[in-house]
Amino acid sequence: MASTRSRQWVGNRVLMTLLVAAVASVGLLPFASLSPNRLASGQSVMLWEASASWQLAAFALIGLALLLAALARPLSVRTALWLSLIATLPLLALDFQALGGYAHRALVDASPAARVSQGATFWILLFVCVLIAIDALQRLRLGMAGRALYGMAALAVIAACFCGDLLAPLSIMREFANQRDNFVDQLIRHLLLVGGALVPALLVGLPLGLMANRRARLRNGLFSVLNVFQTLPSIAVFGLLIAPLSALGRAVPWLGDLGVSGIGVAPAIIALVLYSLLPIVRNTYSGLAGVSSGALEAARGMGMTPRQILWQVEIPLALPVILSGLRIVTVQAIGLVVVAALIGAGGFGAFIFQGLGQYAIDLVLLGAIPTIVLAVIADFALQILVSLSRPAGTR
Amino acid sequence: MIELQGLTKTYAGKHVVDDVSLTLETGEFGVLIGPSGCGKSTTLKMINRLIPLSGGRIILNGDDVNTLPTEQLRRRIGYAIQSTGLFPHWSVAQNIATVPQLLKWPKSRIDDRVDELMAMFHLDPSEFRHKYPHQLSGGQAQRVGVARALAADPEVLLMDEPFGAVDPITREVLQAEMKRVHQQTGKTIVFVTHDMDEALQLATRIALLNGGRLVQYDRPIEMMVTPADDFVREFIGQADLGLKLLSRRWVHQYQRPPSLAHHATLPGLDHCWQLDDAGRPVALEGARLDDGGVTPVKSEWTATPDMSLKEALSRMVWYRVMVLPVIDEAGKLIGEIGMQGVMGIQAEQRVHAS
Repeated sequence: MASTRSRQWVGNRVLMTLLVAAVASVGLLPFASLSPNRLASGQSVMLWEASASWQLAAFALIGLALLLAALARPLSVRTALWLSLIATLPLLALDFQALGGYAHRALVDASPAARVSQGATFWILLFVCVLIAIDALQRLRLGMAGRALYGMAALAVIAACFCGDLLAPLSIMREFANQRDNFVDQLIRHLLLVGGALVPALLVGLPLGLMANRRARLRNGLFSVLNVFQTLPSIAVFGLLIAPLSALGRAVPWLGDLGVSGIGVAPAIIALVLYSLLPIVRNTYSGLAGVSSGALEAARGMGMTPRQILWQVEIPLALPVILSGLRIVTVQAIGLVVVAALIGAGGFGAFIFQGLGQYAIDLVLLGAIPTIVLAVIADFALQILVSLSRPAGTR
Repeated sequence: MIELQGLTKTYAGKHVVDDVSLTLETGEFGVLIGPSGCGKSTTLKMINRLIPLSGGRIILNGDDVNTLPTEQLRRRIGYAIQSTGLFPHWSVAQNIATVPQLLKWPKSRIDDRVDELMAMFHLDPSEFRHKYPHQLSGGQAQRVGVARALAADPEVLLMDEPFGAVDPITREVLQAEMKRVHQQTGKTIVFVTHDMDEALQLATRIALLNGGRLVQYDRPIEMMVTPADDFVREFIGQADLGLKLLSRRWVHQYQRPPSLAHHATLPGLDHCWQLDDAGRPVALEGARLDDGGVTPVKSEWTATPDMSLKEALSRMVWYRVMVLPVIDEAGKLIGEIGMQGVMGIQAEQRVHAS
């Protein structure tokens, strides 16, 4: 009975659940914390203590709008979804505004070492925004262009929050200020490591995938070898590579001069290439295997050369699947490079392990958040590429 | 002209095609037919060397196909298959232009040719040029497949069960179109099917294969009238042999001049046609089973010269008339076809008898 009644009232259960979660977290969990220095644990500050009164009013207003969107009446389904999509943007801005505003006020007459950090409620509100938006975008069935446009609007809102000195007093931004030059170096290093792994993985993986498609006898052996690589834990691979690579670097001096040694960039790239091979080879193989046998027979029957068949028929038709493999591998590599910092390869992982060593959580976040952002951007960009590569006829 | 000389294909010691020899003259519509596994598709695919020969020779217009470079040979031969094999990422126009592109024709010539072929298959270029294969119905896709096979004006057209996967109604339409295209282009066609009715409908020559061997190679009528052995007889089917024969005979072969006055000499067939000023039949006096009175002529029971006797008979039975008017395109009465015609008695014979 109760469930049928609530079904009548609630139009969008996902949105309602997210709203309940957000309200519960506002009531129960801290929005920010104030600590005497960067290592000490801080004192909790709730959202209503941290916010200015106009911000509280704005939170309430947006909350009411979202509640309206979650109800079955009076709005139509599409209007309600658009309302939730639009209301998400100011909520996002307000989340940052409240945090930055609090940090400014709290630190005015505190000691220079005092730090303000974001708390659980800040993150929960952020994720609630993301989930509401994803859910609404899916239900509205917006195309790639609509999604990209909305994504850019959300990014613009966040970028605007970072532009002024609104967030500057936050602990994580102070860590960033301390590491500013280093941050850019590690970003470049992170990207170079990912690129340095993907290029050789593609150069090896694409021909291997083609070979697996052409020679059935090689296929099983190839895939079982690549599967073994995939199941090895990354730290174990780094460990396993130390001995042979340092021996190699010593035995062949010019390789040593190039930087081949037990730790650092060489083992990181080798491990990343090994991990990247299976998805690339497998997707290349299954992309080519998915090309209809009728099209191939017709192509041969009409007198296309094997090379023309490969470039004009097989590759264009297999491209979306191959690029999906590249997407998996890119996101995976961005995450794995973090671990490579353990053996001194650098990248955002360096901040994470440094922060862990010092118990400085905000330094850990300085490494973790950009890694996540990089992965999300790469995923999104490649997703667009995949849908663009889909043949016009099948899009 | 295609000559198969002692054509043989062996897989693991087993003869899939065994010493097949036949000659198909230029402009003929040859159908390879037989039960599953008889080697008909294998024979077809050896002509464009999709399957290499184990023995024998294939001569295409004087050239041994084994001496020609593979791709060059295939560009001289059109190829259409059951699954159409259209490239899903290319538009209809691009698909049709495949072989002309390979042959590096100038763009304007390719465009003209694509339009010409689309017109030949009743595909409106403005509507279909830019469509993709997945937007086509089965019949349309098959038309595009055949148009693509004909694009570079090949010496021979090979078709491997092209209409095997479309519904029966579409298949009949496509068969009629194929027949028209054959008459229009005069192409030499080699066509594989397992459907005897399709073979009788389209072929000028039928090669019946069984277990890799050529059992009989003949014109359709001869194959029906003088089957080489019991297998042929059985494969053609005895139950409706008469009807099959009628499907290969045409009204114009058996029609006689129209009766415009009553003939007392034809008992039971005493009838005559009433015409309007333009010479079109408006009514039939007599020759109906129901009554001997005057019956208005309906278009449903008229015949045209290119109609098969099978269809003419069907109309007679259904509309209960003993004789159909044969009309030309303008609807003018040019003859009549009656039961004697259907029975294979030609006009001259009747004239003698009367």
